[in-house]
Amino acid sequence: MVPTHYYLILGAALFTIGVIGVLTRRNIMIILMSIELMMNAVNINLMAFSDRLQQVTGQVFAIFVITVAAAEAAVGLGIVIAMFKNKETMNINEIDLMKW
Amino acid sequence: MGQFFKLADLGAIAPELELILWGMGILIADLIIKDKKKLGIVAIVGLFVSGIFLFRLNGVEATAYGGLLVIDQFANFFKLIFLVAATLAIAISMKYLDIERENHGEYYALILFATMGMMFMAGAVDLVTMYISLETMAIATYVLVGFLRSSQRSNEASLKYFLLGAFSSGILLYGMSLLYGISGSTRFIDIAEALSRRPLNDPISLMAMITLSAGMFFKIAAVPFHQWTPDAYEGAPTSITAYMSVAVKAASFAMMVRVFMVAIYPMRPHWVAIMAAVSVMTMTVGNIAAITQSNIKRLLAYSSISHAGYVLIGLIAGNQTGLIAVAIYLLIYTFTNLGAWAVVVALKRRDVIGEHIDEMSGLFFKNPVAAILMLIFLLSLAGIPPTAGFIGKFYLFASAIETGHNTLAVIAVLNAAISIYFYLRIVVAMFMREPNEKTELTYSPALLTVLAVAFIVTMFIGIYPDPFISMARLAIPAGF
Amino acid sequence: MDFINSNILTIVTFTPALGALLLLFFPRSRAKTARNFALIISILAFLFSLHLVAHFDSNASGFQYRTDRAWIPSFGIGYQLGIDGISLFLVLLTTLLTPLAILASTRIRDRVKEYFLFMLLLETGVVGVFCSLDLFLFYVFWEVMLVPMYFLIGVWGGERRIYAAMKFVLYTMAGSVLMLVAIIALYFLNGKATGAYTFSYELILAAIHGGKLVLEPATERFLFLAFFVAFAIKVPLFPFHTWLPDAHVEAPTAGSVLLAGVLLKMGTYGMLRFSLPLFPNMSHLFAPFITLLAVVGIIYGALVAMVQPDMKKLVAYSSVSHMGFIVLGIFSFTPQGVEGAIFQMLSHGVSTGALFLLVGVIYERRHTRLIEEFGGLAHRMPLYAAFFLIVTLSSIGLPGMNGFVGEFLVLLGTFGVNKPRGVVAAAGVILSAVYMLWMFQRVIWGEITNEKNRTLTDLVSYEKAMLIPLLFLIFWMGIYSNHFLRPMDASVARLLSQTGKREIQYAVAPALQP
Repeated sequence: MVPTHYYLILGAALFTIGVIGVLTRRNIMIILMSIELMMNAVNINLMAFSDRLQQVTGQVFAIFVITVAAAEAAVGLGIVIAMFKNKETMNINEIDLMKW
Repeated sequence: MGQFFKLADLGAIAPELELILWGMGILIADLIIKDKKKLGIVAIVGLFVSGIFLFRLNGVEATAYGGLLVIDQFANFFKLIFLVAATLAIAISMKYLDIERENHGEYYALILFATMGMMFMAGAVDLVTMYISLETMAIATYVLVGFLRSSQRSNEASLKYFLLGAFSSGILLYGMSLLYGISGSTRFIDIAEALSRRPLNDPISLMAMITLSAGMFFKIAAVPFHQWTPDAYEGAPTSITAYMSVAVKAASFAMMVRVFMVAIYPMRPHWVAIMAAVSVMTMTVGNIAAITQSNIKRLLAYSSISHAGYVLIGLIAGNQTGLIAVAIYLLIYTFTNLGAWAVVVALKRRDVIGEHIDEMSGLFFKNPVAAILMLIFLLSLAGIPPTAGFIGKFYLFASAIETGHNTLAVIAVLNAAISIYFYLRIVVAMFMREPNEKTELTYSPALLTVLAVAFIVTMFIGIYPDPFISMARLAIPAGF
Repeated sequence: MDFINSNILTIVTFTPALGALLLLFFPRSRAKTARNFALIISILAFLFSLHLVAHFDSNASGFQYRTDRAWIPSFGIGYQLGIDGISLFLVLLTTLLTPLAILASTRIRDRVKEYFLFMLLLETGVVGVFCSLDLFLFYVFWEVMLVPMYFLIGVWGGERRIYAAMKFVLYTMAGSVLMLVAIIALYFLNGKATGAYTFSYELILAAIHGGKLVLEPATERFLFLAFFVAFAIKVPLFPFHTWLPDAHVEAPTAGSVLLAGVLLKMGTYGMLRFSLPLFPNMSHLFAPFITLLAVVGIIYGALVAMVQPDMKKLVAYSSVSHMGFIVLGIFSFTPQGVEGAIFQMLSHGVSTGALFLLVGVIYERRHTRLIEEFGGLAHRMPLYAAFFLIVTLSSIGLPGMNGFVGEFLVLLGTFGVNKPRGVVAAAGVILSAVYMLWMFQRVIWGEITNEKNRTLTDLVSYEKAMLIPLLFLIFWMGIYSNHFLRPMDASVARLLSQTGKREIQYAVAPALQP
């Protein structure tokens, strides 16, 4: 039996990696993946809690999160493609039409 | 738990249900109808029908779906705001999309879906419902922001909005997962109960509160989580900017009220401190950044950031006056701000950006009515009586003083004084500079209606606010 | 009659606003009709306001012609109007100066309709300020008046009009928002102490003087300062005066007339109506500072006025000096000082209003206000010179004219309390004679040095029409001063009884001593 806090530490680590990825990486695809990583860290948390509390709610929540993340990814990729058509770059630093 | 699904629950979500079906209907009708403007009218009819269903729920206090959703006056009040905002935004859009040559049926369907998401947000008292409704709104809005597919600015705005929106959802979710772990439930009431049993400085609770708050602050564009706002607002189709700046913001605040005043209420001493700092920064940064802007859309974006800072005061006060202030302020802001955006849309012409402050030059000479309307809206945004904006600000300041947040109140009023400077810059352009050939307006009947409605409501609330205050008072009973 | 008496203030206040609303529907091409209409409306408002004098009970100290209706009951906000001896003549001054200002605007050619629209709105705002007995309502009128004045300066003003208009608004706003905080704070303090949540001035006043609402020294100090700064900026008291010269120089003639004539009085009126009776302890505590600032303002304004090359700027700085007298009188806490201050408010409104009108007359002919451009005007414009002389003498306080009474009473009141300040202020009177007479000499006397002045024409009929009422008042106020002072007596006595010193508070808070 793996103790719950192991999972929580794993979740926190993944989440932190995700956050750092979003903040430091410049490639849009990698940023998207980092966001996915954050979502999955949350899922790990939810599953761990669900397991410890012997409840199904957390798992249901996790399934919802996965579903929504999938929808979000679909829309996100759509947006990236639309942008790529107009401006062939994947580097977030080059997307700088609007600045004050 | 008993029977999870009851037929009666369908009645409770009738306004939302109607919007989903209507939106799908529009998607199908899009295949047949060639004149897309008609779809806009259809969408408005759909919103009205939803309004009728909402009206039938007036006064009902109930929970539905085993406690996932509540129907109460608070939710109804905000749902009304969303329906009004969506209706006015669609009326603004019909001409705008024609100019941009991007008139498609999906646009209207997406607005209906986003509105539906917001309506669920207002009634959500459970983390799962809250998250899903939030995402429903957000995903539809991402697409709407990027709706001008051929415009790089629109793409860019959409991408930034999406990336930061998804990022903030991730942070929000992390907080939610911790709250679930603490309480073993996703219901707000259970969470509050579990939190109140833990010590105030419990690290996990603190972590949950901080991540949750950060996510929320992203959604309302509070400083320091505001960087996406000017870009998203500037690049988005102006009609969507208008819609986002009022409806998305109102929905996020409705959600915030429920989360902060119910779910994490036991941690109030902590989040009040954070929120006060955020509120002061938001007001100040929003106003000061707005001073330097020369693009009207960007200027109004920063102005909307600072307004979020004002609204936070109501939550910081946290008593009945404060929450009434939040509700009434958002209601007033909806009309006033949509009115101001409608004037900006009227400035837009084919193949011209029409957003620079100079393009407002001498508007008064060319079109006195539009200039005077814009003046009224700007005065209302600045909070000068006898416009509605003053009543809203007055309520917010009053709530802060009532609860002893005197320093906050002083900072807020000084900010209100600063904000007059940049609102008056637009007035200076409109009234005190010579017109140039670019200053021309194009109207459509729908746009005129929006302007008229926004004007009448702004002045009416300013002069005789009592009916609206009573309405907000019903929405927020004492001891919410 | 009861119906009229209880609604007359509403009628006086909103007649101009109604007129402004109707003006909206005038076709743009009918500029002259619009002007005549605005004139008729403002004269109508003046006639209505005469009713106030006719039926005013000079022996009553309380508020008269009261209107009391609920406005926003959920917040204890009422629509309460009323006037007493302090505000009576200020309302009349406003309703009198507005038609004269409209007459002075005969040569406005640009966007005439809107000009008069803002003029009438301004009148509503100012009259409303003088009549409001509800703090919320007072604040609303106080702010409402900003917008029309902003436009009058910003649209029809001179070269740097936008800068001046913005400065005017920002200064005023910075002060008034703090006042809003103080008003709301007072509302809650009163509500918590008495259980009656209300913005009613009289109820709050009664609570303070009935001992039900006792303010902590620190709280009272904050509230007093918040109110006082708003008023001091409006007056403008030195060192808050820097917006005034800009606003005056850039504003059109009529704007200057109203600005100097009545808008500045809103500040001193606010001190009398709110600062003194609501916060008597702090008024006494801060009086030494305030009178010092007032005296500095008197001398500073006079000295700066002396070196101004621009006539309008000269008059503007003379306003700073004269308004110092009013503040000095108010914070002498003596019946003479306070009555003198009120009298001086009226008399400054009349004299400075007339001065701005006179400057406007030659500005319209020559499009310059520089003193060096003129000289020897008496040869070409004898009537103008005569009028100018009377107004100049009135402004420097020649006995027999209005300026003398006010300044004399103020000095009388001040000498009784603080001799040194009285002496310095008296020196200000002498300085004012210097700069005014010097300007008069350079502009009117002597030979015509500038060829352009040879073609000047004397006053035309509308200019006479706008100046004669003021000249008449100058003498009336100077000779029959009691007509104006008598109605104030009861109200001033009541005011001073409310402002009476309460020594106990000083003992409790020695740290607050200056």
